[in-house]
Amino acid sequence: MPPLSEALSVELVELLPRLRRFARALAGNMSDADDLVQIAIERALSRAEQLHDGAPLAGWMFGILRNAWIDEVRGRARRNRVFVPEELGAQVPDPSSGQALLLPVQQALQRLPDEQREVIGLVLIEGLSYREAAQIIDVPIGTVTSRLARGREALQAMLGDVEQERA
Amino acid sequence: MNPSDETLMAYADGELDAATRKQVEASMAADPQVARRLAAHQALRSQLHASFDKVLEEPVPPHLIALVRSAAKGSEVGQVLQFPRKQAQRRAWLQWSSLAASFVLGALLWQLASRMYPTAPITESKGALVASGALARALNSRLASQQTASDPVQIGVSFRSRQGAYCRTFQLRDTAATAGLACHGDDDWIVQVAARADASATAHSQYRQAASTLPPMVLEAVQEAIAGDPLDAGAEAQARAAGWRAGH
Repeated sequence: MPPLSEALSVELVELLPRLRRFARALAGNMSDADDLVQIAIERALSRAEQLHDGAPLAGWMFGILRNAWIDEVRGRARRNRVFVPEELGAQVPDPSSGQALLLPVQQALQRLPDEQREVIGLVLIEGLSYREAAQIIDVPIGTVTSRLARGREALQAMLGDVEQERA
Repeated sequence: MNPSDETLMAYADGELDAATRKQVEASMAADPQVARRLAAHQALRSQLHASFDKVLEEPVPPHLIALVRSAAKGSEVGQVLQFPRKQAQRRAWLQWSSLAASFVLGALLWQLASRMYPTAPITESKGALVASGALARALNSRLASQQTASDPVQIGVSFRSRQGAYCRTFQLRDTAATAGLACHGDDDWIVQVAARADASATAHSQYRQAASTLPPMVLEAVQEAIAGDPLDAGAEAQARAAGWRAGH
């Protein structure tokens, strides 16, 4: 038995750009994000028997990726995180840090608590429903709603500050 | 009606039922302040998309595609995976890795000793430890399935690293049971780690012998480096035919 049917492997390859996007939202930088995608694929392949053709692959993969981030990559990202100055608008990018190209909105997202960042990633960036996000994170829908509200508020406050400084 | 912030967010996220949606639209029409609040939510959403959708345009790293495709190709040539109990095995590696620190000293002593004897199976070249002599010959030519127990060099598992290089674990019978991991560089086998094998490791006989006799430090190095599954016999032979060069 191959770990993956031909149809599922095609579907999974097509999903890779979205997995990379979600991973980027969680991990913040490209190398940690792609490590995360690789770990998620390895985990998915090791339990591919849970899947069959026609099963909702995207939600399943987002869940595996999210759990891999919590288990393996999150701590590493935190250790490696480049100090982010309080004044986002005044940041001088360090070309060696790999964060030089982060846009203000990406920087702001990285400053959110993990639990808010993941719901923002799932709902606002990946376009999942509250119910799907709640299943992936394994919390009630009300928890998704309130984390989303707090995360949005914090992002708007941070980005609003940047706008005002530029004005 | 003045909709709550949560209701407005749910509206922006398309989560409201038709009746509530109509109420929100009515209050927007009546109160421009409500419309402004909603616009702020929608603006944030498009800012996030404008920023992160660029990832969708980037080329996906080939090793990620290859990882997925390799899992589907397994059946086409009727290959049987050599490690059906991968989960159990990985857990075992993880347990052993906690013991790794005690083997560091042994590895350092081994490295020093190998410098003193240029004919040793591991020599230093341009700052790296390189397999030579009988070890290099075994790494280059021996298939794990073809060796006999009396061979002085025993080859264990072969696999592709996360960087795409071919790597193999080995054990030297006549050098106080030294074991290690080597990965193929441009020309040579670069020894990533080498350590004295711990006799007690053989107690884990429920696992495949090639893995069970490796010291924890080497197992940890394998765990750290490996991408996907170890090579099966067919893939091992193909890699040998390609000269252990990456990109095949």
